[in-house]
Amino acid sequence: MLLEVSNLRKTYRLGRVDVPVLRGVSLSVHKGEWVALLGASGSGKSTLLHLVGGLDRPDRAGRPAGITAQGVAAAQGVVKGEPSRIVFDGRDVTAMGQRALDKYRSNDVGFVFQFYHLLPELTVMQNVLLAAMVRHGRVAYTTRRGELQASARRLLDSVGLSHRLQHRPVELSGGERQRVAIARALLNSPALLLADEPTGNLDKTTGGTIMSMLADIRRATGHTMLMVTHDPEVAARADRVVTLVDGRVVSSPTPRAGAVAGAATGGSGGPTGPAAPPTPGGPASGGGPARSPIGVR
Amino acid sequence: MVGDQGGGPIPFPVYHALLTRKYLTSKIMPLLAALAVLLCTAMVLITWSVMGGFLSMLLDSGRKMVGDVSIVWPNTGFAHYADLIQRLEADPAIEAACPMIETFAVLVLPDDRVQMISLKGIDGPSFSRVIDFDAQLYWRPLAEGEGLPKAVDGEDLREDKANWPTLEQILEGGRRLAQYDPATGEWVPALVLGIETGDFNQRSKTGSGVYTPRAQLRARGDGGIDVISDFMPRSGSVTIHLMPLDPGGRAIEIVTRRLPIANEFKSGVYDVDRQSAFINMQRLQDLLGMSQALRVVPDETGVPHNPFETMIDPATGREVHVPPANTVVDPPRVTTVLIRAADPDAPSTEIKRRAEAIYAQFVAAHTDPVTGACDVPGTGSILINTWEDQNRTLVAAVRKETALVLFIFGFISLTAVFLVLAIFWSMIAEKTRDIGVLRALGASRAGVAWLWMRYGLAIGVVGSLLGGAAALLVVRNINQIHEWMGRALGLYIWDPAVYVFTEIPAKVDPVHAGFVLAAGIGSSLLGALIPAWRAARLDPVKALRFE
Repeated sequence: MLLEVSNLRKTYRLGRVDVPVLRGVSLSVHKGEWVALLGASGSGKSTLLHLVGGLDRPDRAGRPAGITAQGVAAAQGVVKGEPSRIVFDGRDVTAMGQRALDKYRSNDVGFVFQFYHLLPELTVMQNVLLAAMVRHGRVAYTTRRGELQASARRLLDSVGLSHRLQHRPVELSGGERQRVAIARALLNSPALLLADEPTGNLDKTTGGTIMSMLADIRRATGHTMLMVTHDPEVAARADRVVTLVDGRVVSSPTPRAGAVAGAATGGSGGPTGPAAPPTPGGPASGGGPARSPIGVR
Repeated sequence: MVGDQGGGPIPFPVYHALLTRKYLTSKIMPLLAALAVLLCTAMVLITWSVMGGFLSMLLDSGRKMVGDVSIVWPNTGFAHYADLIQRLEADPAIEAACPMIETFAVLVLPDDRVQMISLKGIDGPSFSRVIDFDAQLYWRPLAEGEGLPKAVDGEDLREDKANWPTLEQILEGGRRLAQYDPATGEWVPALVLGIETGDFNQRSKTGSGVYTPRAQLRARGDGGIDVISDFMPRSGSVTIHLMPLDPGGRAIEIVTRRLPIANEFKSGVYDVDRQSAFINMQRLQDLLGMSQALRVVPDETGVPHNPFETMIDPATGREVHVPPANTVVDPPRVTTVLIRAADPDAPSTEIKRRAEAIYAQFVAAHTDPVTGACDVPGTGSILINTWEDQNRTLVAAVRKETALVLFIFGFISLTAVFLVLAIFWSMIAEKTRDIGVLRALGASRAGVAWLWMRYGLAIGVVGSLLGGAAALLVVRNINQIHEWMGRALGLYIWDPAVYVFTEIPAKVDPVHAGFVLAAGIGSSLLGALIPAWRAARLDPVKALRFE
């Protein structure tokens, strides 16, 4: 098990009103599994993704994070039972200090956002390398510059952008930008890829291409993926679809038999794909495309 | 300084350098912030350089004109000065001492204008041992590269080789305080006037400090006008009226002499250059009745000698004048002795203390009842002053004014802090999503804060260095800029009559420059501090959702 989320609660304060967004979500994700979080707008799926990614903190037991005692009373029934916990690869993310959390975001997870979030001043290559620049100090980065640049080039080549290395984001289409964002998310070879509506800002055709690309990558590298979407058609490509309604999991089927193992064989391009043992961090063992994005840890 | 990974701080993460460079070169706002730092840095540095240069020139000129210490007994003067000088020069702390007479005179110019001047009688060789008089003589041949550094080609007639033979003679005349008379082959006593005296010369409008002689007009008695063209010192003469005083300070009779001009001097101090002239000391002693003389004293009977008493010479049978029976020799007198210290860095108060001690010994050794017998410092007319004492009021005023102006301009420069703050605040609002991305990629709060502090540092360094360079450029060409402003805009700010010096003094002190540049960088960092803190405090989730 790579990720275990239990009794996850999150409450936001809007003015004087406390709004519970997650009301005790529990979820498990296996290594190499592709899980889609499906839900309507406001169901809490992006919040769940941010919490899993260490960008935000869940409510503490007995009191929502950043909310007063009065707020707790107002948010009746929100904070109950066991404390919120996110355990990643045996480590309790919710108990991590700020520095450990920064390290977790840099090393263990990779984000793909709906709006790409590329830095407009940087070239495609620099945007991808930014992840490594943040992760490594000057000496480490300089020492490994050639290796890191080669990895970035390979990743950009694998997403079909080897001819766009020196372009700026403004010169790219939406699909190309998202591919750059995917390459950036993969550069540090995170164990968990978090995609927040990766096709939400793209037309259907381009969105389909991006989804195929994510499937290819996942098939080739065996990345575990947690993907937020409101589109059931997109969600259907995952191994498992977890449905959220009003901050609660209403449908979380057990992983299909062989779905996790199928990641490495390229069989999870769709909900009924065949299964094979994953080879995390390594190239495709068969059945996948020849391209093999290789991250650097 | 603070990194983000490896369980501890990472020194100088690469993304700081990359983003700082990109933000600096791709936006107009940081350039505006750098411009604000540039202007404030340049403003303060120029002000400090001008005020500091003014003070420095004031101190230098004070020393240059009067030596380290001066012993003065106005009007009457004192005798036996040669002995005093000998005693002074015997002191190892004193390099040289020289006599001088200083008096007031009325100067009548060739165009009949009249002005009051300070006339100084000097002994050329001994005076030059204390004051660098030779260097102050303006008219002299100048080889290429010796002229004023900012002179325009052809502007300085001293560099014209055709003038050199004449200028050589004029220079020698200045040294001798005399003019060569080709008819007799003798050197005739002459004056060395200040370069600004009588407006005979025109300061260059290029701000180079070069003087050129200009034509003078004189009204004739018949209603016509004479043009006194090309007034070189050699071709003109002036009249001086002197008022000798007796030992009691009473006027004797006015002495009038017409004297040629040997050369002109330029000290750079406007008042001195406009209202001073030098003459040979012995000549001035003669004119003022301060040279050696016989004085008749009453005999033992107390009966005064009849100056008109005559007798018949038994040898010739002719009536001859009866010389007084009792006479004493009054030695020559001077009003001032100037002293130069052996060590230029020695405190002038120490030289003053030594001069006072030597003067007391000198007084004890000369108790003869001659005119100009010596007095003890502090009990009579004798004044023993350092060059700082003589300029104390002005120096103190300039120091206060420098501090005041710097305070005001420094306060105004605080606007740079607020400008940087406002610009950074706005930039951070614009870059909120970038900050969210950096946090999502694992950047720490401290890393984000340092990114913006480093950015502030870069803007401060760029602004301060450019501001320093701009200030240096302005300071080095301040007189040319001033002259240009005068010609183009009719705006003359520097009036030599008010500000003492003929040129705007400006000197960039490296320590001051370093301090101002550091303050410029500091102000930029200070301005970046609050926005950096705000950037670090941004919630990454909200930052990523920022529209």
